Amino acid sequence: MLRSRVIVVLFSLTLLLSACSRQPETHNQRLLVFGTIIDISIVGVDKKTADNAFKVIEEDFNYMHEAWHAWQPGALGRINNLLPTTARFSTAPSLIPVIEKATQLSQQSNGLFNPAIGNLIRAWGFHSDELPTQLPDKNTITELVKQQPKMSDLELNGIKLRSRNPAMRLDMGAFVKGYGIDMAIEHLQELGINNAIINAGGDLRAIGQKGDRPWRIGVRHPRNNSILASIEIQNNESIFTSGDYERFFDHNNKRYHHVIDPRTGYPADKTTSVTIIHSDGATADAAATALFIAGPEQWHKIAKQMNIKYVMLIDKQGHVYMNPAMQKRIQFVTDTKPEITITKPL
Amino acid sequence: MTRTDYIVVILALCALPWLYIKFWTMDETAVNVIISTHDNKKIILPLSENKTINVKGPLGENIIEIKDNKARFINSPCPNKICIHSGWLEDINDIAACLPNGVSVSIGGKHQEFDAINF
Repeated sequence: MLRSRVIVVLFSLTLLLSACSRQPETHNQRLLVFGTIIDISIVGVDKKTADNAFKVIEEDFNYMHEAWHAWQPGALGRINNLLPTTARFSTAPSLIPVIEKATQLSQQSNGLFNPAIGNLIRAWGFHSDELPTQLPDKNTITELVKQQPKMSDLELNGIKLRSRNPAMRLDMGAFVKGYGIDMAIEHLQELGINNAIINAGGDLRAIGQKGDRPWRIGVRHPRNNSILASIEIQNNESIFTSGDYERFFDHNNKRYHHVIDPRTGYPADKTTSVTIIHSDGATADAAATALFIAGPEQWHKIAKQMNIKYVMLIDKQGHVYMNPAMQKRIQFVTDTKPEITITKPL
Repeated sequence: MTRTDYIVVILALCALPWLYIKFWTMDETAVNVIISTHDNKKIILPLSENKTINVKGPLGENIIEIKDNKARFINSPCPNKICIHSGWLEDINDIAACLPNGVSVSIGGKHQEFDAINF
């Protein structure tokens, strides 16, 4: 009797172990395109389908990089050459939905996400691959801020475009990564791929899941190389983070980073990083920039206006602000948990 | 049950936690260096073996050094040398890239806890 009970117990324990599932086969590819490192993981299809998808996505990103670069010859480069004339001109039709989406997001963010400040970005030197080494001229910044270029200065009629403000230059840097990931995900779905993740330089969107579990994402600590927290995502969600550690230079022991506040012309100085979970990458990308600039006092209001449901903001002192829905989804994995303020729901 | 039966059962029960750790938990140790080339080829090398590798790209040659369980770019034909300034890579998911020459170096492990890293 005892023997049979022991056998039943052992058998059950063995079954428990076998119930744990192994990882499904994942096809991974790293691409150095779009001015960044893009990692793609595809699950649930054969190798041939995955390899074909990798090729297609690489071509997509190469095309988008050329078309959307603000300061190189290409569709957006041409627009930027023509905007100062304030005359009407025909624009590349593929850029129209990009401009429309950027305009809508800029308005929702009270202009904190403002792709019209290309001249300001260039004055700081954050428009090129090479990082700046010195501060821009103070008077130049004051003058550029005074000109107040904004997306609502654009007049779009069919494919005809003009700017009422000659100071406008479009720099989609805070937005195209998200928009590009959205396009690539859409393309994957058209190819019959329903479980995938595209990670472009740390910002990502996932569809489906990994086998029988959600995708597991590690959020890197903004001040060291360790993992701060983990988040599970599935069925079409993006995670985007804007941080002061991404592109910056030091001058007289002070850090000057690439997230420029359009209201002051200087890097937004109250935030270390903002992490957003949202369905589409373009909105998540723009919101991460807007909320970073909004800072600890104003991010909640701007997030509501942009219809963002999950936010984590870390201020300059390392204090974490989150809405309750984000708190439910994020798990801190560091030995010492940061100080956290849970705000009102969004 | 005889005395030997009891011993066998106890030994089997003791083996269960070991089996669980061995086969079902994540080994997060960094074990290899993954080099991606401009033509999307992958070179995987052990992190434990000191070595210097030359990788060709459209601009010229990148030189990558693996030493004392770390890896880094030591030479690059690119203008900004961001890859060299990235310094040593030693933890899982550490990555450096020479974008103009299409070469990236990252650190991998047997199992990875996360499917992607957000930053």
